[in-house]
Amino acid sequence: MRTISRLLWVISGFGLGVGTLYWFLTYEATGAVLLWFFGLMPMIVALWMWRRGLVSAHLAEDEPEADPSASAGEVVGSFPLMSAWPIIAVLGVVMAGASLVYGLILLAPGIALLGYAIYGLMRESRH
Amino acid sequence: MSTLVERSPAPQAPMEPERHGPVAWLTTTDHKKIGIMYCVTAFAFFLVGGALADTMRTELAEPGRQLVSTQTYNTLFTIHGTVMIFLFVAPFGSGLANYLIPLQVGAPDMAFPRLNALSYWFFAGGGLLVLLSGFASAGGGAAMGWTAYTPLSEARMSPGVGPDLWILGIALVAVATLLTGVNILTTVFLLRAPGMTMWRLPIFTWNMVVTALLGLVAFPPAVAAFALLLIDRRLGGHAFDPFGGGDPVIYQHLFWFLGHPEVYILILPTFGVVTEIIPVFSRKPLFGYTGFVLATLAIGALSTGVWAHHMFTTGAVDNPFFSAMSLLIAVPTGIKFFNWIGSMWQGKIRMAVPMLFSMGFLLNFLIGGVTGVMLASPPIDFQVADSYFLVAHFHYTMMGGAVFGLFAAIYFWHPKMTGRMLSERLGRVVFALLFLGFNLTFWPQFILGMRGMPRRIVDYAGGLGFDTPNLVSSVGAGVLTLGVLVFLYDLWASRRHPVAAGDDPWGGYSLEWATSSPPPERNFTSLPRIRSERPAYDMRHPGAPR
Repeated sequence: MRTISRLLWVISGFGLGVGTLYWFLTYEATGAVLLWFFGLMPMIVALWMWRRGLVSAHLAEDEPEADPSASAGEVVGSFPLMSAWPIIAVLGVVMAGASLVYGLILLAPGIALLGYAIYGLMRESRH
Repeated sequence: MSTLVERSPAPQAPMEPERHGPVAWLTTTDHKKIGIMYCVTAFAFFLVGGALADTMRTELAEPGRQLVSTQTYNTLFTIHGTVMIFLFVAPFGSGLANYLIPLQVGAPDMAFPRLNALSYWFFAGGGLLVLLSGFASAGGGAAMGWTAYTPLSEARMSPGVGPDLWILGIALVAVATLLTGVNILTTVFLLRAPGMTMWRLPIFTWNMVVTALLGLVAFPPAVAAFALLLIDRRLGGHAFDPFGGGDPVIYQHLFWFLGHPEVYILILPTFGVVTEIIPVFSRKPLFGYTGFVLATLAIGALSTGVWAHHMFTTGAVDNPFFSAMSLLIAVPTGIKFFNWIGSMWQGKIRMAVPMLFSMGFLLNFLIGGVTGVMLASPPIDFQVADSYFLVAHFHYTMMGGAVFGLFAAIYFWHPKMTGRMLSERLGRVVFALLFLGFNLTFWPQFILGMRGMPRRIVDYAGGLGFDTPNLVSSVGAGVLTLGVLVFLYDLWASRRHPVAAGDDPWGGYSLEWATSSPPPERNFTSLPRIRSERPAYDMRHPGAPR
């Protein structure tokens, strides 16, 4: 994780540095704010990694001589095979969004569908 | 239902019988199926965008011809640009990333499979809204260009629901890109196989990491701009309306803060593709792996500081700053060319179809890149602003570069995805037609631009030096279309008369070539030891020097 942490810090430094340079060259606020936020975003992740002690964590994937057989049985994660909720959620979002264009009558069913899908996703992810 | 997946070096039996049929595809969370759905949907959008381009080229083949009305022409180039950029090239890259990244890093799936499915459906839904915005919307389709500049895109100038649907559609596609970016980064950072250090990642995966980071940086400001534009149009806001105290130039800043990194969001996956292909068909390792990765990171970082070179002629930006940054980005791009040439140098080059398309990419992108350096210079930019020179430059980078790279990817990984080979003979015909057609179409547009023909016009007067280049360009578009039709036939023929590909028809280097074609559920029955950035090669040649 050390490489990832360094990567995030370098990107962050670049964004903040270029943003500051841009500000003093142009005094143009929109671009400077965009560049500063570009610098802040990876910093948030890097700080979170540092706080959680992930920077110095020894993971098999970061070990050049690691042997896959030594990690046998280690749980990688939980992966669903199928789910209908994503397509239902997007249908809800499209309906709710289209209400801005075609009339508010679409808003209620759109939000209801989206809420139903979110509830379904939450329930599904518990199993 | 979810299943716990464990790391195991021993062959595993499939956990469940594989499901088939439409419902299995609609509800799938398997990264391979989602990747294929992304690629197929994006290619369908490419066919739509291509048909629109053919209509425009037919209209412009000779002066005075009126195939479509002025307003319809405006809709044609608006939807063509939007479809090709947001619905074809970028999502096709996402499709490849979805399919390949878990395989290349040795993971069983993407980190968040449901989020992955959600991304795809956001993209598909957004894409349909964009198409509706042009052709099925009451009161006028979207006709304000793919940049949707204000005040042209404000309700006063662009009435009707078309622009609103366009905004909603693009916003959904942007959300899909953000979710995919989160998924890619989490997968690469946390789901790599033992021994797959960051400095052993395949170059395609590295390029997708940078692409994902760029997407996360660049899309939110644009989504904010689109939301403000929708508020302006529908709820009486004045964010970008100069008559209400708003500032249209701020829209341009927000849009191009997406728009220029977007160019690299489109091209970086292709850089990754050709970098996977060239060493394999040169029978050599990649020349300068570390330098290549650092150059990719430099391109990604610098691309966030060049957005306002699209605004040189507004007079509202600091031209020297953006000119310097834009010229600087040519340096890491040049390093990549040295990497590619160095990888081929003294190699045993085999000109199979993926390699042919990669060569086509190098030649076309070089022209696009060099003309990009020209445009980074404000005096030249002022001279050719809003002319066909820009259209030619843009298409040399995006079509000659990105699309040729994507065709290379299709010919390279189709055997892995389907277990079937595409025809080598037809592939060469496709390459010849596309390469010839592309250059016939877009090289004359440099001449048109230098002669002063403005872009986005439905007609032009005869006798101004525009006639012959336009005719040649339109003939070229026909040749391009023929190439795409032969490609579709090749796909159909590979299904009709399948030729088994085997697990590794090319002697590939990265981990996806160490599993079956197509790969099983959860990708690997066993993982090889990873000792370099070429694990599949190491597995086949255990005694070879790394």
